[in-house]
Amino acid sequence: MDEQRRKAVRRSTLVFSLIALAFYLGFIVMAVVKGGR
Amino acid sequence: MAEHSNAASHADHDHHDHKPHGWRRWVFATNHKDIGTMYLIFACTMFFIGGFMAMLIRLELFKPGMQFFDPQFFNSMTTMHALIMIFGAVMPAWTGLANWMIPMQVGAPDMALPRLNNFSFWILPFAFTLLIGTLFVPGGAPAGGWTMYPPLVLQNGASFPMLIFAVHMMGASSILGAINVVVTIMNMRAPGMTLLRMPLFTWTWLITAYLLIAVMPVLAGAVTMLLTDHFFGTTFFTAAGGGDPVMFQHIFWFFGHPEVYILILPAFGIVSEIIPTFSRKPLFGYEAMVYATASIAFLSFIVWAHHMFTVGMPLAAQLFFMLSTMLIAVPTGVKVFNWTATMWKGSLTFEPPMLFALAFLFLFSIGGFSGLMLGIVPADYQYQDTYFVVAHFHYVLVPGAIFAIMGGVYYWLPKWVGNMYDMTLAKWHFWLSTIFVNVLFFPQHFLGLAGMPRRIPDYAVQFTDWNMVSSIGGFGFGLSQLLFVYVIVKCVWSGKRVETGRVWEGAHGLEWELPTPAPYHSWTEAPSDSIIAKGAAH
Repeated sequence: MDEQRRKAVRRSTLVFSLIALAFYLGFIVMAVVKGGR
Repeated sequence: MAEHSNAASHADHDHHDHKPHGWRRWVFATNHKDIGTMYLIFACTMFFIGGFMAMLIRLELFKPGMQFFDPQFFNSMTTMHALIMIFGAVMPAWTGLANWMIPMQVGAPDMALPRLNNFSFWILPFAFTLLIGTLFVPGGAPAGGWTMYPPLVLQNGASFPMLIFAVHMMGASSILGAINVVVTIMNMRAPGMTLLRMPLFTWTWLITAYLLIAVMPVLAGAVTMLLTDHFFGTTFFTAAGGGDPVMFQHIFWFFGHPEVYILILPAFGIVSEIIPTFSRKPLFGYEAMVYATASIAFLSFIVWAHHMFTVGMPLAAQLFFMLSTMLIAVPTGVKVFNWTATMWKGSLTFEPPMLFALAFLFLFSIGGFSGLMLGIVPADYQYQDTYFVVAHFHYVLVPGAIFAIMGGVYYWLPKWVGNMYDMTLAKWHFWLSTIFVNVLFFPQHFLGLAGMPRRIPDYAVQFTDWNMVSSIGGFGFGLSQLLFVYVIVKCVWSGKRVETGRVWEGAHGLEWELPTPAPYHSWTEAPSDSIIAKGAAH
């Protein structure tokens, strides 16, 4: 795998991992906010 | 000529593939085909464990009255059967097929993240050992249903933390697998393999992977909150502490409905590969199929509350979720129309993959229609929690998802192992499965409409006859699957050698441009544009 493609792979892995993390934490935060109302 | 030299070059690579041998090949596997094989074997094992539990359920329900098990164990069986079949059989089977086929179909040498691929597979045996281990702890296995609704799930005994940890591990495995699929498809396609040249199986898996990345963390979030409610004094879902158990249902089904499409979209992809091959025609409306798949995925995010109409919600919400549910019939209808149009005036033959694809078309549509019935709010008030629901989702998942997986295995198995299977036995497997699956699940529509509730070990005597018929169908279907394993094992060990790269006369796609059996390393050199253009079926 050439360096450019390797970088693209790393970048998109990071982006999709962060999206997954955002969904995980987002729903917990939403539940906390709703509970606090 | 280019094709042959390419194939020869690959055969040469295969000769020098330096693949590891012994247990290291599997434990430290990074090759997409090895990992795909492990996923498929794991899924098959779970299919038989989950299937055995289904047999026990049907055994108990053969006659009214308590026959063999206490109600707690019966409910454990329904819960475990669902968890094992969904997370242990169908999802890993799709990931196995994705591992095998996506690099071959997009002209990549392997998945983009091979070590992550190994990790996401090896999480699964630990997750399911933990889950199945709950059968042996005080209080027994989880018995509150696969939906894990609080407060019932919080009353589980020692199995509760094991269940939550197992679900977290399954979720992590799925998310990592999905990230790998997206990253592979977005970054590893051969030059010239544009998005709208990709085979439908790869397309449907790309969309499925996006769904997985979005919703599996939501399930993880929900069960994390269950865990903190149980052990750390929070009250997310406990009414006594100001929490709301119904909120769990909303969060769960925000995951749960897209999950249904996670289980079925790759099936649409496989059927879209098989029908053109055995009709000897290009797929009708390729782009419409892609857009229909994307539309179904989008709509799957805005229909979740149709699973909980009876929980009590404002009329406007009921109308919104009912109408958005009805909308899904439009892109699904596009798909069914396009498959039918592909076959129209085609030169059809009925090899086992085609038989499974056709059965899928008819029987999945039955599941789709009963889904529409359930989506109608006032009707759902009658059907909620009856056997009609059980009949509906089993029609979607068994002759839907599982038939497509079997069709896919029969379609690609000769390519994988280089041997052809016994056609006669495979057709026997098809006919036995198709007859028994209908004997098993069709009567459950009648039982549900007559008012038989689901998740009960005993029932009123008027439901006896159809329950007996359903149980006979269940035993027949279960036993028929032993034939599936026999056909595969016989093919691998002593099947007739396949000499050509293009195993099926009408097959199109990059995977058929590789030699048979597929070399250990697929596309070590990117395929040329002419090969890609030739492989594109549209």
